[in-house]
Amino acid sequence: MNLPIPFIVGLAILSLAGVGFYCLLATRNLIKVIVGLQLIVKGVMLTFVLAGNLNDQVSLAQSMALTVIVADTIVAVVGLALAVQIRHKLGTLDTKALSSLKR
Amino acid sequence: MSLILVLIIIGVPWFGAALILLDRDRHDKLQHSLAVLFALAAAAAAILLTTHASKESVLVLAAGTVFGDFTFVPDGLGVFLTLIATIIGSLAVIFSINYMHGEKGLGRYYAYVLFFIGAMSGLVLTSNMLLMFFFWEITALCSYGLISFHNDDPKAVRGGLKALIITSVGGVGLLTGALLLYVYSSSFDYNILLADPSVIPSKILALLAFFFLVAAAAKSAQFPFQTWLPDAMEAPSPISALIHAATMVNAGVYLLARFFPAFEGVAYWKEAVMAVGVLSALLAAIMALFANDFKRVLAYSTVSQLGYMVYAVGAGSVLASQFHLFSHSIFKALLFLGAGAVIHSIGTRDMTKMGGVGKAMPFVKWVFIIGALALAGIPILNGFWSKEMILEAGHATGAPVLYWIMVFVAGLTALYTIRMVWMVFYGEPRSDYHAHKVGVAMKIALAPLAAAALTSWLVIGSFTKLLGEESLPYHAIESLSLSGMFHEVVSLPTLIPLAVILLGILCWIFREKLTGIGKLFGWLRWLADHSFGFEAINSGLVSAAQSSAEGLRVTQTGILGWNILGILSTIIVLFTLFAIGA
Amino acid sequence: MWYVIVAAGILLCAILAVTSKRLLVSAIWLAVTSALTALMLYLLGAPQIAVIELSVGAGLVTVLFVFAINISGEEPLNLKPIMPRPLAWGLVVVAVGMTAYLLINSGILGSALVTSTTRPSILWEDRYLDIILQVSFIFCGVLGVLGVLSGGKPEIKEEDEE
Repeated sequence: MNLPIPFIVGLAILSLAGVGFYCLLATRNLIKVIVGLQLIVKGVMLTFVLAGNLNDQVSLAQSMALTVIVADTIVAVVGLALAVQIRHKLGTLDTKALSSLKR
Repeated sequence: MSLILVLIIIGVPWFGAALILLDRDRHDKLQHSLAVLFALAAAAAAILLTTHASKESVLVLAAGTVFGDFTFVPDGLGVFLTLIATIIGSLAVIFSINYMHGEKGLGRYYAYVLFFIGAMSGLVLTSNMLLMFFFWEITALCSYGLISFHNDDPKAVRGGLKALIITSVGGVGLLTGALLLYVYSSSFDYNILLADPSVIPSKILALLAFFFLVAAAAKSAQFPFQTWLPDAMEAPSPISALIHAATMVNAGVYLLARFFPAFEGVAYWKEAVMAVGVLSALLAAIMALFANDFKRVLAYSTVSQLGYMVYAVGAGSVLASQFHLFSHSIFKALLFLGAGAVIHSIGTRDMTKMGGVGKAMPFVKWVFIIGALALAGIPILNGFWSKEMILEAGHATGAPVLYWIMVFVAGLTALYTIRMVWMVFYGEPRSDYHAHKVGVAMKIALAPLAAAALTSWLVIGSFTKLLGEESLPYHAIESLSLSGMFHEVVSLPTLIPLAVILLGILCWIFREKLTGIGKLFGWLRWLADHSFGFEAINSGLVSAAQSSAEGLRVTQTGILGWNILGILSTIIVLFTLFAIGA
Repeated sequence: MWYVIVAAGILLCAILAVTSKRLLVSAIWLAVTSALTALMLYLLGAPQIAVIELSVGAGLVTVLFVFAINISGEEPLNLKPIMPRPLAWGLVVVAVGMTAYLLINSGILGSALVTSTTRPSILWEDRYLDIILQVSFIFCGVLGVLGVLSGGKPEIKEEDEE
């Protein structure tokens, strides 16, 4: 395989983002939504480090990726807490049941 | 120093609004005192700022290359309007201590009022058009929130929505203008446009000029948008005094005055402005003559006086227009607050049920009469001087038909004013009402306004200096001293409007003898009651906006899947466009 | 060579995470995806981030998931998505394909990798704003979780009193 390495990494990033978006698109379970978000954010992290590598600024990219990890972990924490509470209150994790907008 | 003052004027009321909301309506007195304190602080800062007016921008927040710099420039126009907004705001807040005594939702009320005062000051102090649009929309939001303050009353809610939708039309015009300016000069700063209007090609400049005219007409309730202001009278009276007489409706006139140097060269623009002003003044004066709701008469009179100001801008005299704005804010706020005192104590807005109120409320009667004399343009009071300056400017343009219509409207003004004063304060009570005395806070608010209505014309010298060369370099406003104004106004052409005003007053006094002529104008009364057909247009606009909003609601499903679908589709469409474009 | 294996592994594990019916299995596959991502980060020359990602992604988040799934009860919901699955896959593939096309055309992905020494001091000295940001994130997160969890307490108390 003579493909350049950034190309392969790019493929990995795109596949993570794609699968993450598919998960957000095609699921109705609230916890799966958080799984999808996590996948997308991993793709973002890889993008940062790849870009840093190509620009010879790996340390800067690492600090940004660190911020992203922290933010993403917080999102997962709060999201899961919300999911637990919704399960308590509504009895289901179905995203369609969450929406109380008039139709 | 100016920097701190500008920050105080805009920031302190906003901070006060947040603090009052935090109290959550637990302590009435605390909310009242906080509101008065913050409003007075802003007013004090505004008074100090008048000594520091300059054309240099004092606060420049760099917001990147897309939005330009957020600049605040305390130049003459801005400082004077800030002064009006904060001082009349403080007086309205003081008045509200008595008027809103015991009402629910005080936190919401004061928060909106303070938010509005800060936003109005920001609107006139900024020179970045995007920021001006931002503040413009905030004032529209606060106006909506305050008109529909009694949100269990369907009339109030309808009035608020109508005001919001119609003034949003104005906002769209303003935003389009801002974007056009950006496209042609890569900056949102309007001083670039004022310095050299040829920055924008002339056809686009004409488009811009007329968009701004529409924006100003919508905001200031001019023809053809004049029906939202009477319906906005559902708001509490201090709000009518502050927002719908002294500040927000002046934003449209401010817009025209600010951009006058840029647009005066556009063909037919000045004529269009004059026509809008004259039509609004005439139609509103006729409608005021036949209205029976106390605040509606005042609302129509506001539209009519704003028509005078717009006419003055069209006639080329920004000074006359701004001076009348100054006088009008004072006496109109006085009239509205006085009307508020009467309505609060009697409990109805219907003038046919009033009469003889003067016996029960002598203080209000006298301050109201002072305001009414100023409105009618009786000599010595400030309304006389500024109205005569406008008529002089109109006379100098050489468009005789419009001038004579404006003189006729001055007579109509006197007529409906004396009708209003007579029906409310004199005569015998026409119904069984119980009037109680006004509270101290109301008196404290009314007295300075009455004093100002008698004397504000004396500051013409410093007024013109404020608007002069140093702070408004593009407007070419010459300084006019007191004696200069005296000479200009007390001259032969002034006698004609004075005679017409006297005629108007005499018409009322001898009204029994003139009932024959009155019957002839019965068809006019029918037309006036239906607002000359404009109500239909404006209601159509409002219901069209609401039904399209209802129709678009299906897109907001609240389901994650649909939103992600939207994201992905946008990505596909955008990247296809990129791929094709590249 | 390693890159291709890791990339393929990431794709496979992600798809498995998303399409599995049981939530616990999804969480486990997510952990494996995190581990593989950490490996790729290490290969790209960012070992510190790789370690942090491994411990946080494959450790902390997985524990959280297992915790939440156990509390909320695992019900194998077989809910139909709002649009047929092939359509969803098609949409995603088209979007990803367009992005790939644009990226390849711009030529960024053609250059070779650079290996350089990393300087950890950059994070702590030059990027102090980032540190402040992260601390505030964690603070907000804690507040958020406390707020969310406290919202449920009064109801449970009322049920107890009845």
